[in-house]
Amino acid sequence: MSALVYRRRFAKNIVAQLLASAAALLALIFLGWILWVTVSRGVQAIGVPLFTKITAYADQGGLANAIVGSFIIDMMAIALCAPIGVLAGAYLAEYARGTRLGETIRFLNDILLSAPSIVIGLFVYVIVVLPMTAATDGAVTFSALAGSIALALIGLPVIVRTTDEMLQLVPSTLREAALSLGIPQWKLTVQVLMRAAGSGILTGVLLALARLAGETAPLLFTAFGNNYMTFGPLSKMASLPAAIYQYTNDPNPALHAIAWAGALLITLFVLALSLLARAVFARRKTSHD
Amino acid sequence: MTELSTAAQSVSPQVGAKIAVRDLDFHYADFHAVKNIHMDIPERKVTAIIGPSGCGKSTLLRVFNRIYAIYPKQRADGQVLLDGENILDSDYSLNRLRSKVGMVFQKPVPFPMTIFENVAYGIRHHENLSRAQMDERVEQALRAAALWDEVKDKLKRSALGLSGGQQQRLCIARGIALKPEVLLLDEPTSALDPIATGRIEQLIEELKRDYTIVIVTHNMQQAARVSDETAFMYMGELIEFGDTEKIFTKPDKKQTEDYITGRFG
Repeated sequence: MSALVYRRRFAKNIVAQLLASAAALLALIFLGWILWVTVSRGVQAIGVPLFTKITAYADQGGLANAIVGSFIIDMMAIALCAPIGVLAGAYLAEYARGTRLGETIRFLNDILLSAPSIVIGLFVYVIVVLPMTAATDGAVTFSALAGSIALALIGLPVIVRTTDEMLQLVPSTLREAALSLGIPQWKLTVQVLMRAAGSGILTGVLLALARLAGETAPLLFTAFGNNYMTFGPLSKMASLPAAIYQYTNDPNPALHAIAWAGALLITLFVLALSLLARAVFARRKTSHD
Repeated sequence: MTELSTAAQSVSPQVGAKIAVRDLDFHYADFHAVKNIHMDIPERKVTAIIGPSGCGKSTLLRVFNRIYAIYPKQRADGQVLLDGENILDSDYSLNRLRSKVGMVFQKPVPFPMTIFENVAYGIRHHENLSRAQMDERVEQALRAAALWDEVKDKLKRSALGLSGGQQQRLCIARGIALKPEVLLLDEPTSALDPIATGRIEQLIEELKRDYTIVIVTHNMQQAARVSDETAFMYMGELIEFGDTEKIFTKPDKKQTEDYITGRFG
Protein backbone atom coordinates (compact mmCIF):
# COMPACT_ATOMS: atom_id res chain seq x y z
CA MET A 1 0.00 0.00 0.00
CA SER A 2 2.52 2.59 1.12
CA ALA A 3 5.01 1.36 -1.48
CA LEU A 4 2.38 2.14 -4.10
CA VAL A 5 1.96 5.68 -2.74
CA TYR A 6 5.70 6.24 -2.87
CA ARG A 7 5.95 4.86 -6.37
CA ARG A 8 3.12 7.13 -7.50
CA ARG A 9 4.78 10.16 -5.92
CA PHE A 10 8.04 9.22 -7.52
CA ALA A 11 6.38 8.99 -10.93
CA LYS A 12 4.63 12.34 -10.43
CA ASN A 13 7.92 13.92 -9.51
CA ILE A 14 9.57 12.57 -12.66
CA VAL A 15 6.73 13.88 -14.83
CA ALA A 16 6.83 17.33 -13.23
CA GLN A 17 10.58 17.49 -13.58
CA LEU A 18 10.42 16.47 -17.25
CA LEU A 19 7.73 19.04 -18.08
CA ALA A 20 9.62 21.85 -16.34
CA SER A 21 12.90 20.92 -18.01
CA ALA A 22 11.23 20.68 -21.42
CA ALA A 23 9.68 24.14 -20.96
CA ALA A 24 13.04 25.62 -19.97
CA LEU A 25 14.71 23.92 -22.93
CA LEU A 26 12.06 25.23 -25.32
CA ALA A 27 12.61 28.80 -24.11
CA LEU A 28 16.37 28.38 -24.48
CA ILE A 29 16.04 26.89 -27.97
CA PHE A 30 14.18 29.96 -29.21
CA LEU A 31 16.64 32.32 -27.55
CA GLY A 32 19.54 30.44 -29.13
CA TRP A 33 17.77 30.37 -32.47
CA ILE A 34 17.11 34.11 -32.43
CA LEU A 35 20.74 34.79 -31.55
CA TRP A 36 21.96 32.41 -34.24
CA VAL A 37 19.79 33.94 -36.97
CA THR A 38 20.76 37.47 -35.91
CA VAL A 39 24.45 36.71 -35.84
CA SER A 40 24.63 34.56 -38.97
CA ARG A 41 22.62 36.99 -41.09
CA GLY A 42 24.01 40.10 -39.44
CA VAL A 43 27.69 39.37 -40.01
CA GLN A 44 27.17 39.27 -43.79
CA ALA A 45 26.71 43.03 -43.98
CA ILE A 46 29.18 43.92 -41.23
CA GLY A 47 32.03 45.90 -42.74
CA VAL A 48 33.61 49.31 -42.81
CA PRO A 49 30.85 50.93 -44.96
CA LEU A 50 28.25 49.94 -42.37
CA PHE A 51 29.85 52.37 -39.94
CA THR A 52 30.98 55.07 -42.38
CA LYS A 53 28.20 55.44 -44.94
CA ILE A 54 24.73 56.82 -44.33
CA THR A 55 21.39 55.29 -45.23
CA ALA A 56 20.85 57.77 -48.11
CA TYR A 57 23.03 55.48 -50.28
CA ALA A 58 20.51 52.66 -49.69
CA ASP A 59 22.04 49.28 -50.60
CA GLN A 60 25.37 50.97 -51.40
CA GLY A 61 25.36 52.63 -48.00
CA GLY A 62 25.53 51.77 -44.33
CA LEU A 63 23.97 52.73 -41.04
CA ALA A 64 26.34 55.50 -39.87
CA ASN A 65 23.56 58.07 -39.40
CA ALA A 66 21.32 55.53 -37.66
CA ILE A 67 24.11 54.50 -35.27
CA VAL A 68 24.90 58.12 -34.39
CA GLY A 69 21.19 58.96 -34.19
CA SER A 70 20.45 56.05 -31.88
CA PHE A 71 23.36 57.04 -29.68
CA ILE A 72 22.18 60.65 -29.41
CA ILE A 73 18.51 59.77 -28.84
CA ASP A 74 19.30 57.04 -26.27
CA MET A 75 21.71 59.25 -24.35
CA MET A 76 19.26 62.14 -24.25
CA ALA A 77 16.54 59.72 -23.14
CA ILE A 78 18.60 58.30 -20.29
CA ALA A 79 19.70 61.82 -19.29
CA LEU A 80 16.03 62.75 -19.06
CA CYS A 81 14.74 59.71 -17.20
CA ALA A 82 17.64 58.77 -14.90
CA PRO A 83 17.51 61.83 -12.57
CA ILE A 84 13.72 61.86 -12.43
CA GLY A 85 13.54 58.10 -11.97
CA VAL A 86 16.15 58.00 -9.20
CA LEU A 87 14.49 60.87 -7.33
CA ALA A 88 11.04 59.34 -7.74
CA GLY A 89 12.36 55.98 -6.50
CA ALA A 90 13.93 57.74 -3.52
CA TYR A 91 10.61 59.42 -2.80
CA LEU A 92 8.81 56.07 -2.82
CA ALA A 93 11.37 54.28 -0.67
CA GLU A 94 12.22 57.04 1.80
CA TYR A 95 9.40 59.54 2.02
CA ALA A 96 6.30 57.59 1.02
CA ARG A 97 7.18 54.38 2.87
CA GLY A 98 4.00 52.61 3.95
CA THR A 99 1.70 55.43 2.85
CA ARG A 100 -1.32 54.97 0.63
CA LEU A 101 -0.04 57.61 -1.79
CA GLY A 102 3.23 55.71 -2.12
CA GLU A 103 1.44 52.44 -2.79
CA THR A 104 -0.72 54.11 -5.44
CA ILE A 105 2.26 55.64 -7.21
CA ARG A 106 4.08 52.30 -7.10
CA PHE A 107 1.05 50.62 -8.66
CA LEU A 108 0.75 53.26 -11.41
CA ASN A 109 4.46 52.96 -12.09
CA ASP A 110 4.05 49.21 -12.61
CA ILE A 111 1.30 49.94 -15.12
CA LEU A 112 3.60 52.34 -16.97
CA LEU A 113 6.24 49.60 -16.89
CA SER A 114 4.02 47.36 -18.96
CA ALA A 115 2.37 50.02 -21.13
CA PRO A 116 2.50 49.16 -24.87
CA SER A 117 5.30 51.22 -26.37
CA ILE A 118 3.20 52.23 -29.36
CA VAL A 119 0.82 53.98 -26.95
CA ILE A 120 3.73 55.93 -25.51
CA GLY A 121 4.81 56.87 -29.04
CA LEU A 122 1.33 58.16 -29.87
CA PHE A 123 1.14 59.98 -26.54
CA VAL A 124 4.38 61.86 -27.21
CA TYR A 125 3.21 62.56 -30.77
CA VAL A 126 0.13 64.29 -29.37
CA ILE A 127 1.85 65.95 -26.40
CA VAL A 128 5.13 67.04 -28.02
CA VAL A 129 5.17 66.71 -31.82
CA LEU A 130 1.81 68.32 -32.63
CA PRO A 131 2.16 71.33 -30.28
CA MET A 132 5.73 71.90 -31.50
CA THR A 133 4.57 71.82 -35.11
CA ALA A 134 1.86 74.35 -34.31
CA ALA A 135 4.16 76.59 -32.27
CA THR A 136 6.87 76.74 -34.94
CA ASP A 137 4.51 76.92 -37.89
CA GLY A 138 5.80 73.61 -39.18
CA ALA A 139 9.51 74.49 -38.94
CA VAL A 140 9.95 71.80 -36.29
CA THR A 141 7.81 68.69 -36.59
CA PHE A 142 9.21 65.30 -35.74
CA SER A 143 12.37 65.63 -33.65
CA ALA A 144 15.07 63.66 -31.88
CA LEU A 145 13.96 65.38 -28.69
CA ALA A 146 10.44 63.99 -29.04
CA GLY A 147 11.99 60.55 -29.64
CA SER A 148 14.08 60.90 -26.49
CA ILE A 149 11.05 61.91 -24.45
CA ALA A 150 9.18 58.83 -25.68
CA LEU A 151 12.12 56.54 -24.86
CA ALA A 152 12.55 58.29 -21.49
CA LEU A 153 8.98 57.28 -20.66
CA ILE A 154 9.94 53.67 -21.43
CA GLY A 155 13.04 53.81 -19.20
CA LEU A 156 11.51 55.85 -16.38
CA PRO A 157 9.43 53.13 -14.67
CA VAL A 158 12.37 50.69 -14.80
CA ILE A 159 14.58 53.16 -12.95
CA VAL A 160 11.87 54.14 -10.45
CA ARG A 161 11.30 50.52 -9.58
CA THR A 162 14.92 49.43 -9.20
CA THR A 163 15.82 52.55 -7.20
CA ASP A 164 12.85 51.98 -4.92
CA GLU A 165 13.75 48.31 -4.41
CA MET A 166 17.46 48.91 -3.92
CA LEU A 167 16.85 51.61 -1.32
CA GLN A 168 14.41 49.36 0.52
CA LEU A 169 17.15 46.74 0.77
CA VAL A 170 19.38 49.14 2.74
CA PRO A 171 19.03 48.12 6.39
CA SER A 172 16.98 50.53 8.50
CA THR A 173 19.77 50.62 11.08
CA LEU A 174 21.80 52.73 8.65
CA ARG A 175 18.94 55.25 8.57
CA GLU A 176 18.67 55.25 12.35
CA ALA A 177 22.44 55.69 12.73
CA ALA A 178 22.50 58.74 10.46
CA LEU A 179 19.33 60.27 11.91
CA SER A 180 20.65 59.83 15.44
CA LEU A 181 23.60 62.03 14.46
CA GLY A 182 21.06 64.71 13.60
CA ILE A 183 21.56 64.28 9.84
CA PRO A 184 18.38 65.47 8.08
CA GLN A 185 16.36 63.11 5.90
CA TRP A 186 17.41 64.58 2.53
CA LYS A 187 21.11 64.39 3.36
CA LEU A 188 20.67 60.87 4.65
CA THR A 189 18.92 59.87 1.42
CA VAL A 190 21.35 61.48 -1.00
CA GLN A 191 24.66 61.07 0.81
CA VAL A 192 24.29 57.85 2.75
CA LEU A 193 21.51 55.65 1.37
CA MET A 194 22.07 56.38 -2.32
CA ARG A 195 25.74 55.67 -1.82
CA ALA A 196 24.94 52.40 -0.06
CA ALA A 197 22.54 51.43 -2.85
CA GLY A 198 24.64 53.11 -5.55
CA SER A 199 25.63 50.14 -7.65
CA GLY A 200 22.10 48.71 -7.49
CA ILE A 201 20.70 52.02 -8.72
CA LEU A 202 23.33 52.21 -11.47
CA THR A 203 22.38 48.68 -12.52
CA GLY A 204 18.78 49.85 -12.87
CA VAL A 205 19.85 52.76 -15.08
CA LEU A 206 21.91 50.44 -17.30
CA LEU A 207 19.03 48.00 -17.63
CA ALA A 208 16.69 50.88 -18.49
CA LEU A 209 19.13 51.95 -21.20
CA ALA A 210 19.21 48.38 -22.53
CA ARG A 211 15.43 48.33 -22.53
CA LEU A 212 14.88 51.62 -24.35
CA ALA A 213 17.70 51.07 -26.87
CA GLY A 214 15.71 48.31 -28.56
CA GLU A 215 12.40 50.16 -28.85
CA THR A 216 11.06 50.97 -32.34
CA ALA A 217 7.42 51.93 -31.99
CA PRO A 218 7.92 55.03 -29.80
CA LEU A 219 10.37 56.42 -32.36
CA LEU A 220 8.19 56.11 -35.47
CA PHE A 221 5.88 59.02 -34.55
CA THR A 222 8.51 61.08 -32.79
CA ALA A 223 12.09 61.04 -34.13
CA PHE A 224 10.61 59.66 -37.36
CA GLY A 225 13.86 58.75 -39.11
CA ASN A 226 16.21 60.43 -41.54
CA ASN A 227 18.34 59.22 -44.43
CA TYR A 228 21.00 61.81 -43.65
CA MET A 229 23.24 62.45 -40.71
CA THR A 230 21.69 64.93 -38.26
CA PHE A 231 22.89 66.04 -34.83
CA GLY A 232 20.37 68.68 -33.76
CA PRO A 233 17.81 67.61 -31.15
CA LEU A 234 15.06 69.46 -33.01
CA SER A 235 15.68 67.75 -36.36
CA LYS A 236 14.29 64.45 -37.58
CA MET A 237 16.84 61.85 -36.71
CA ALA A 238 17.70 58.35 -37.90
CA SER A 239 17.89 55.51 -35.40
CA LEU A 240 18.83 51.84 -35.66
CA PRO A 241 15.41 50.40 -34.81
CA ALA A 242 13.63 52.77 -37.22
CA ALA A 243 16.17 52.01 -39.99
CA ILE A 244 15.72 48.27 -39.46
CA TYR A 245 11.95 48.70 -39.62
CA GLN A 246 12.24 50.71 -42.83
CA TYR A 247 14.68 48.25 -44.50
CA THR A 248 12.79 45.10 -43.65
CA ASN A 249 9.73 46.58 -45.38
CA ASP A 250 11.76 47.03 -48.58
CA PRO A 251 11.78 44.37 -51.30
CA ASN A 252 15.54 44.80 -51.90
CA PRO A 253 17.38 41.83 -50.27
CA ALA A 254 20.60 43.88 -49.92
CA LEU A 255 18.73 46.18 -47.57
CA HIS A 256 17.56 43.16 -45.55
CA ALA A 257 21.19 42.24 -45.00
CA ILE A 258 21.94 45.73 -43.69
CA ALA A 259 18.86 45.52 -41.43
CA TRP A 260 20.20 42.24 -39.99
CA ALA A 261 23.54 43.91 -39.33
CA GLY A 262 21.70 46.69 -37.52
CA ALA A 263 19.80 44.14 -35.46
CA LEU A 264 23.10 42.48 -34.57
CA LEU A 265 24.52 45.85 -33.43
CA ILE A 266 21.55 46.47 -31.13
CA THR A 267 21.75 42.93 -29.77
CA LEU A 268 25.46 43.30 -29.02
CA PHE A 269 24.87 46.69 -27.38
CA VAL A 270 22.12 45.32 -25.15
CA LEU A 271 24.22 42.25 -24.34
CA ALA A 272 27.17 44.46 -23.40
CA LEU A 273 24.93 46.60 -21.18
CA SER A 274 23.52 43.53 -19.44
CA LEU A 275 27.01 42.18 -18.78
CA LEU A 276 28.13 45.57 -17.49
CA ALA A 277 25.06 45.74 -15.23
CA ARG A 278 25.88 42.29 -13.84
CA ALA A 279 29.48 43.28 -13.23
CA VAL A 280 28.44 46.47 -11.44
CA PHE A 281 25.94 44.55 -9.32
CA ALA A 282 28.45 41.83 -8.45
CA ARG A 283 30.88 44.46 -7.20
CA ARG A 284 28.17 45.73 -4.86
CA LYS A 285 27.92 42.36 -3.13
CA THR A 286 31.62 42.05 -2.41
CA SER A 287 32.05 45.64 -1.24
CA HIS A 288 29.38 45.21 1.43
CA ASP A 289 30.82 42.17 3.12
CA MET B 1 0.73 62.29 53.89
CA THR B 2 3.18 59.72 52.54
CA GLU B 3 1.37 59.80 49.20
CA LEU B 4 1.83 63.54 49.01
CA SER B 5 5.52 63.39 49.75
CA THR B 6 6.23 60.71 47.13
CA ALA B 7 4.27 62.72 44.58
CA ALA B 8 6.26 65.86 45.36
CA GLN B 9 9.51 63.92 45.23
CA SER B 10 8.80 62.44 41.82
CA VAL B 11 8.09 65.71 40.04
CA SER B 12 11.41 67.45 40.54
CA PRO B 13 14.43 65.48 39.38
CA GLN B 14 17.00 64.35 41.89
CA VAL B 15 20.13 66.42 42.23
CA GLY B 16 22.74 65.15 39.77
CA ALA B 17 20.17 63.59 37.44
CA LYS B 18 20.96 64.13 33.77
CA ILE B 19 17.80 62.55 32.47
CA ALA B 20 14.60 62.43 34.48
CA VAL B 21 11.86 60.18 33.18
CA ARG B 22 8.32 60.98 34.37
CA ASP B 23 5.11 59.02 33.68
CA LEU B 24 6.52 57.64 30.46
CA ASP B 25 4.31 55.38 28.38
CA PHE B 26 5.19 54.01 24.98
CA HIS B 27 2.95 52.46 22.35
CA TYR B 28 3.75 50.55 19.18
CA ALA B 29 0.36 51.12 17.52
CA ASP B 30 -1.89 49.24 20.01
CA PHE B 31 0.83 47.51 21.96
CA HIS B 32 1.65 49.15 25.30
CA ALA B 33 5.40 48.45 25.41
CA VAL B 34 6.60 50.71 28.23
CA LYS B 35 4.40 51.50 31.20
CA ASN B 36 4.49 54.49 33.51
CA ILE B 37 8.25 54.74 33.96
CA HIS B 38 9.84 57.01 36.57
CA MET B 39 13.60 57.13 36.77
CA ASP B 40 16.48 59.54 37.30
CA ILE B 41 19.60 58.78 35.32
CA PRO B 42 22.67 60.21 37.06
CA GLU B 43 25.18 62.39 35.24
CA ARG B 44 28.58 60.97 34.25
CA LYS B 45 27.76 57.51 35.42
CA VAL B 46 26.97 54.33 33.55
CA THR B 47 23.37 53.24 33.88
CA ALA B 48 22.53 49.74 32.66
CA ILE B 49 19.05 48.64 31.68
CA ILE B 50 18.55 44.89 31.91
CA GLY B 51 15.63 42.54 31.53
CA PRO B 52 14.39 39.66 29.40
CA SER B 53 13.74 40.05 25.65
CA GLY B 54 10.70 42.16 24.92
CA CYS B 55 10.69 43.85 28.33
CA GLY B 56 10.90 47.31 26.77
CA LYS B 57 14.50 48.14 27.59
CA SER B 58 15.54 49.04 24.03
CA THR B 59 12.26 50.87 23.55
CA LEU B 60 13.00 53.01 26.58
CA LEU B 61 16.48 53.80 25.28
CA ARG B 62 15.10 54.76 21.87
CA VAL B 63 12.89 57.38 23.53
CA PHE B 64 15.93 59.26 24.86
CA ASN B 65 16.91 60.55 21.42
CA ARG B 66 13.45 60.26 19.86
CA ILE B 67 14.74 57.94 17.16
CA TYR B 68 11.44 56.04 17.41
CA ALA B 69 9.76 59.09 15.85
CA ILE B 70 10.82 58.07 12.34
CA TYR B 71 8.24 55.28 12.51
CA PRO B 72 4.70 56.63 12.14
CA LYS B 73 2.88 54.27 14.50
CA GLN B 74 5.14 54.66 17.53
CA ARG B 75 4.15 57.06 20.28
CA ALA B 76 5.64 58.21 23.58
CA ASP B 77 3.62 60.00 26.26
CA GLY B 78 4.87 61.57 29.46
CA GLN B 79 8.04 63.50 30.10
CA VAL B 80 11.72 62.90 29.57
CA LEU B 81 13.63 65.81 31.06
CA LEU B 82 17.15 66.36 29.78
CA ASP B 83 18.71 68.97 32.06
CA GLY B 84 15.18 69.88 33.10
CA GLU B 85 13.79 70.37 29.57
CA ASN B 86 11.23 67.98 28.18
CA ILE B 87 12.68 66.42 25.02
CA LEU B 88 9.30 64.92 24.08
CA ASP B 89 7.96 68.43 23.68
CA SER B 90 7.57 69.03 19.94
CA ASP B 91 9.25 72.42 20.43
CA TYR B 92 12.47 70.67 21.44
CA SER B 93 14.51 70.63 18.23
CA LEU B 94 15.59 67.20 17.01
CA ASN B 95 18.82 68.70 15.77
CA ARG B 96 19.66 69.98 19.23
CA LEU B 97 18.57 66.76 20.90
CA ARG B 98 20.64 64.57 18.64
CA SER B 99 23.73 66.68 18.99
CA LYS B 100 23.39 66.25 22.77
CA VAL B 101 22.44 62.58 22.82
CA GLY B 102 24.47 60.13 20.73
CA MET B 103 23.52 56.54 20.02
CA VAL B 104 25.36 53.33 19.18
CA PHE B 105 23.42 50.35 17.88
CA GLN B 106 23.48 46.60 18.30
CA LYS B 107 25.12 45.91 14.97
CA PRO B 108 27.91 48.17 13.83
CA VAL B 109 26.60 50.36 11.00
CA PRO B 110 29.43 52.29 9.39
CA PHE B 111 28.41 54.61 6.57
CA PRO B 112 29.59 53.57 3.09
CA MET B 113 32.40 56.13 3.22
CA THR B 114 36.03 56.36 4.27
CA ILE B 115 36.97 55.94 7.92
CA PHE B 116 37.72 59.66 8.16
CA GLU B 117 34.44 60.65 6.53
CA ASN B 118 32.46 58.39 8.86
CA VAL B 119 33.58 60.53 11.79
CA ALA B 120 33.65 63.87 9.98
CA TYR B 121 30.21 63.47 8.40
CA GLY B 122 28.18 64.20 11.50
CA ILE B 123 30.45 67.02 12.69
CA ARG B 124 30.20 68.74 9.32
CA HIS B 125 26.43 68.91 9.64
CA HIS B 126 26.53 70.68 13.00
CA GLU B 127 29.69 72.78 12.81
CA ASN B 128 31.75 74.66 10.28
CA LEU B 129 35.35 73.66 10.88
CA SER B 130 38.54 74.37 8.99
CA ARG B 131 40.46 71.44 7.58
CA ALA B 132 43.00 71.47 10.38
CA GLN B 133 40.31 71.71 13.05
CA MET B 134 38.41 68.86 11.43
CA ASP B 135 41.53 66.67 11.29
CA GLU B 136 42.06 67.34 14.97
CA ARG B 137 38.46 66.59 15.90
CA VAL B 138 38.46 63.33 13.99
CA GLU B 139 41.73 62.26 15.59
CA GLN B 140 40.40 63.18 19.03
CA ALA B 141 37.25 61.14 18.51
CA LEU B 142 39.14 58.13 17.17
CA ARG B 143 41.59 58.31 20.10
CA ALA B 144 38.72 58.56 22.57
CA ALA B 145 37.19 55.46 20.97
CA ALA B 146 40.56 53.63 21.27
CA LEU B 147 40.73 53.15 17.53
CA TRP B 148 43.27 55.75 16.40
CA ASP B 149 46.36 53.53 16.50
CA GLU B 150 44.69 50.89 14.36
CA VAL B 151 43.36 53.20 11.66
CA LYS B 152 45.65 56.25 11.56
CA ASP B 153 47.42 54.96 8.42
CA LYS B 154 44.25 54.07 6.53
CA LEU B 155 41.88 56.94 7.21
CA LYS B 156 41.14 57.24 3.48
CA ARG B 157 40.06 53.62 3.17
CA SER B 158 36.48 52.41 3.26
CA ALA B 159 35.11 51.81 6.75
CA LEU B 160 33.43 48.66 5.44
CA GLY B 161 36.83 46.95 5.43
CA LEU B 162 37.25 47.16 9.21
CA SER B 163 36.54 44.24 11.52
CA GLY B 164 33.24 44.14 13.43
CA GLY B 165 34.84 45.33 16.68
CA GLN B 166 36.68 48.13 14.89
CA GLN B 167 33.48 49.15 13.11
CA GLN B 168 31.67 49.35 16.43
CA ARG B 169 34.41 51.53 17.93
CA LEU B 170 34.18 53.67 14.79
CA CYS B 171 30.47 54.08 15.47
CA ILE B 172 31.29 55.14 19.03
CA ALA B 173 33.88 57.59 17.66
CA ARG B 174 31.29 58.94 15.25
CA GLY B 175 28.89 59.47 18.15
CA ILE B 176 31.35 61.17 20.49
CA ALA B 177 32.78 63.33 17.69
CA LEU B 178 29.68 65.50 18.06
CA LYS B 179 30.65 66.09 21.73
CA PRO B 180 27.33 64.87 23.06
CA GLU B 181 26.45 64.87 26.75
CA VAL B 182 24.71 61.53 26.78
CA LEU B 183 25.69 58.33 24.99
CA LEU B 184 23.06 55.64 24.45
CA LEU B 185 24.39 52.15 23.81
CA ASP B 186 21.89 49.58 22.58
CA GLU B 187 23.47 46.17 23.19
CA PRO B 188 26.70 47.46 21.69
CA THR B 189 28.64 44.22 22.05
CA SER B 190 26.05 41.60 21.19
CA ALA B 191 27.47 41.16 17.68
CA LEU B 192 31.12 41.10 18.84
CA ASP B 193 33.56 38.45 19.97
CA PRO B 194 34.83 38.41 23.59
CA ILE B 195 38.05 40.30 22.85
CA ALA B 196 36.27 43.09 21.00
CA THR B 197 33.66 43.13 23.77
CA GLY B 198 36.40 43.56 26.36
CA ARG B 199 37.80 46.57 24.50
CA ILE B 200 34.38 48.22 24.28
CA GLU B 201 33.74 47.65 28.00
CA GLN B 202 37.10 49.17 28.84
CA LEU B 203 36.19 52.10 26.61
CA ILE B 204 32.86 52.59 28.42
CA GLU B 205 34.78 52.79 31.69
CA GLU B 206 36.95 55.58 30.24
CA LEU B 207 34.10 57.44 28.56
CA LYS B 208 32.03 57.84 31.70
CA ARG B 209 34.41 60.55 32.91
CA ASP B 210 32.99 62.82 30.19
CA TYR B 211 29.63 61.37 29.29
CA THR B 212 26.44 60.16 30.85
CA ILE B 213 26.10 56.62 29.52
CA VAL B 214 22.98 54.51 29.29
CA ILE B 215 23.56 50.94 28.14
CA VAL B 216 21.00 48.31 27.32
CA THR B 217 22.37 44.82 27.63
CA HIS B 218 21.28 41.23 27.55
CA ASN B 219 24.38 40.21 29.35
CA MET B 220 24.03 40.49 33.13
CA GLN B 221 27.74 40.03 33.77
CA GLN B 222 28.34 42.98 31.48
CA ALA B 223 25.85 45.12 33.38
CA ALA B 224 27.54 44.14 36.64
CA ARG B 225 31.01 44.91 35.24
CA VAL B 226 30.44 48.26 33.57
CA SER B 227 27.56 50.02 35.28
CA ASP B 228 27.14 52.14 38.39
CA GLU B 229 23.38 51.96 38.42
CA THR B 230 21.14 49.20 37.12
CA ALA B 231 17.50 49.26 36.11
CA PHE B 232 15.60 45.98 35.84
CA MET B 233 12.62 45.99 33.52
CA TYR B 234 9.98 43.34 33.06
CA MET B 235 6.92 43.39 30.78
CA GLY B 236 7.26 47.11 30.13
CA GLU B 237 7.56 48.09 33.76
CA LEU B 238 10.52 49.32 35.73
CA ILE B 239 10.70 46.78 38.53
CA GLU B 240 13.74 48.02 40.37
CA PHE B 241 16.35 50.69 39.88
CA GLY B 242 19.37 51.44 42.03
CA ASP B 243 22.99 50.91 42.78
CA THR B 244 24.38 48.10 40.63
CA GLU B 245 26.06 46.32 43.50
CA LYS B 246 22.86 46.34 45.50
CA ILE B 247 20.74 45.14 42.56
CA PHE B 248 23.09 42.22 41.99
CA THR B 249 23.60 41.27 45.62
CA LYS B 250 20.55 42.33 47.67
CA PRO B 251 17.70 43.27 45.33
CA ASP B 252 14.55 44.49 47.05
CA LYS B 253 12.15 42.73 44.70
CA LYS B 254 11.64 39.01 44.30
CA GLN B 255 11.31 39.35 40.48
CA THR B 256 14.69 41.05 40.27
CA GLU B 257 16.29 38.34 42.33
CA ASP B 258 14.73 35.61 40.19
CA TYR B 259 16.05 37.23 37.02
CA ILE B 260 19.51 37.94 38.39
CA THR B 261 19.91 34.41 39.64
CA GLY B 262 18.76 33.01 36.32
CA ARG B 263 15.45 31.56 37.44
CA PHE B 264 13.74 33.10 34.39
CA GLY B 265 14.42 35.30 31.39
